[in-house]
Amino acid sequence: MPAIVAQGICKSFRDRPFGPLKQVLHQVDLEVEYGAIFGILGPNGAGKTTFISILATLLRPDQGQARVLGLDVVKDAHRLRERINLAATGAHFLWCLTVEENLRFYGRLYGLGGRSLNARVAELINLFGLVEHRRVTFERLSSGLKQRLALAKALINTPELLFLDEPTTGLDPDMAQLIREEILRLNRETGLTILLTTHNLREAETLCGEVGFLKEGRVLARGRIPELQRRLGLGDRLTIVFQDGLPALDYARLPGVLTHQLQPDRVELQVDRVEERLAAILEAVSQTRKNVAQVRVKEVDLTEIYHEITH
Amino acid sequence: MRLPTDFAKIWAFAARSALVNRRNVFAVFEMLFWPGVAIFSVGLLTRFLKLDPETVTFILIGAVTMNTIQIAQLDLSYALLYSVWAKSLKHEFIAPIRLTHILAGSGLVGLARGFLVFVVMGVLSMWFFDMDLSRPGWGGLAIFIIGMFLNAAIIGAAVLALVLRFGQRAEVAAWAFSYLMLLLCGLYYPVQVLPPGARELAQIIPLTYFLEYFRHFYGFPADSAHPLLYGFSQSVIYLLASYALVCYTLKSAYQRGTLLRLSE
Repeated sequence: MPAIVAQGICKSFRDRPFGPLKQVLHQVDLEVEYGAIFGILGPNGAGKTTFISILATLLRPDQGQARVLGLDVVKDAHRLRERINLAATGAHFLWCLTVEENLRFYGRLYGLGGRSLNARVAELINLFGLVEHRRVTFERLSSGLKQRLALAKALINTPELLFLDEPTTGLDPDMAQLIREEILRLNRETGLTILLTTHNLREAETLCGEVGFLKEGRVLARGRIPELQRRLGLGDRLTIVFQDGLPALDYARLPGVLTHQLQPDRVELQVDRVEERLAAILEAVSQTRKNVAQVRVKEVDLTEIYHEITH
Repeated sequence: MRLPTDFAKIWAFAARSALVNRRNVFAVFEMLFWPGVAIFSVGLLTRFLKLDPETVTFILIGAVTMNTIQIAQLDLSYALLYSVWAKSLKHEFIAPIRLTHILAGSGLVGLARGFLVFVVMGVLSMWFFDMDLSRPGWGGLAIFIIGMFLNAAIIGAAVLALVLRFGQRAEVAAWAFSYLMLLLCGLYYPVQVLPPGARELAQIIPLTYFLEYFRHFYGFPADSAHPLLYGFSQSVIYLLASYALVCYTLKSAYQRGTLLRLSE
C-alpha cells in the first residue's frame, strides 16, 4: 500500500464572511510510495499548500478521502500526527525562545521527556550544525539558521513521513543547497518518505523521484521530470551562433537533443539537460571546423512546462 | 490516555508560558507594578474618603479580585496568542496534542501567577490598609481563591475560542471580556446599586456569588441564600460551555483553514 493515497480531494474557501466560495482544489488524486521524495510543483495560488495541509491533518477536505501511512487524515488525525511532521517556508517559532528551548517545546508536544528528549534535542542540534547557536533566541537567528531549526523541529518525533512546504524559499543559494543535501541524506539514510511543494524546477529535479503539476487546484500531469520533459518535448534551450553560416551536421542526433530549429547563422536546440550535454555538443560542433561566435543557454523553467501542459 | 506523554504535553505549554513570562519585562509589571498601583490608588482613595474599616475591606477585596482574575486568565488567553503572534500555530496543531493539554499547561502558569498577585496584593492590603484577610479562615479564603480561578478559567477559555475564530483581533477581547464581567459582578459596589437589567445580568455571573460569599465574613450579608451553590454550579456550567465552544471553534478552524491563515 502506498504511503499516501488521496482520492477526489476538493476544498473551497470563502475570501470574506458570507462571500462566494472559491474552489481551491478540484478532485485531486495522488499516490506516493513509501520511501519516495515526491514533489508537488505549481505557481503561487495553485493549491499546493492547501493540498499538503489536508494531508498533514491541518485542514479538512470538503470532499474526497485521503489516507496517509494507512490512516484516514480526518478520522485518525490524532494517531497520524504522531507519525508525521512538517517544515514550511519562512520558519516561524516563538521569538523569545532559544533554539534548544524551541526544540524542547516541540519534543514535549510529542510526549518526549527526560533523557530521551535531551538526547533527541542534542542529536538534532548536532545534525543541523546548530551547536554554536543553541542558546540564541529565534528572533536573532539568520534565515538559513531558522530554516535549519525548522527542519530539526520537523524531525523531533522521528517521523515516518515528512511534509516540506517550499523548504528553501527565501534562502541564499548555498543555504538552499545545504538544505537540499540534508533532505536527500535523510531520505537515503532513513528511508523517510517526503512530500514537498516547490515552484523551483531545479530543486524538484535534484530532490524528487517523481513530481505532480498542480495548477488552479487540478493535477495536470505527474511523472518523473525527464519523462515529462520528453513527453512534452521540452528541454533547456541552447543557441549556437556561427560566424560563417551553419555547418552541415545532423543536429537531431546530437546528445540529448529533443528538437532543433535552423536559421541562416544559428541553430536553436532543445536539450534535455544542458549542463550534462553541453561539452559533448560543443565537441561535435568543433569537429566541423566552423567558428562559433556565441553560445547562449537558457534553462527550461517551470513556466515553459506549464505553458506546454496548459496549452 | 497515556499519562507520561500527557504530562509531557501539558508541561510543554506550562514551561513555554513560564519562559515567556520570565523573559518579558511586562510580565513583571503585570504581576507586581500594576497590582501595587491598584492597591495603593484604591486604598488611598478609601483613606481620603474616611471610610469605615469594613467598607475599606469591601473595596480592597474588589481590587484584589480584579487583578488576580486578570492575570490568571491572561496565561490561558495567551496560550494561543503566543502562537498566533509567532505564526507557529500550525506547528503546534500538527503535533498530537489536545485542547486539554493547552488549557492545563497554560492554566497552571496562570494559576501560579494569579496566586502570586493575590498574595502580593493581600500582603500590601494588610500592611498598609489594615485589611484583615484572616477573618474568613483558611477554608473561606481557599473557597474564594478557587472561585476566582474558576472565573479566570471561564474567561480564558472563552478568549481562546475567540482567538481560534478571529485570530489576533481577539487580543482586545482578552481584556475587554474580563472588564465587562468585573463591571457587572459588583466588584467595588454591591450589585443592588446596578441599574435594572444589569442587576439581572450580575446574577448569571458566578463571580458575583463568590464575592458575596467572601464579603459576608466582613459584615455584608449575601443577597442569595446559597451563594456557593450558585457560584460553583454556574462556574461548572460555564466552564463546560466554554470548553465546548473552544472544541467547536477548533473543529471549525480545521474546516475553514484558520490555523493556516493564522500561521502566515
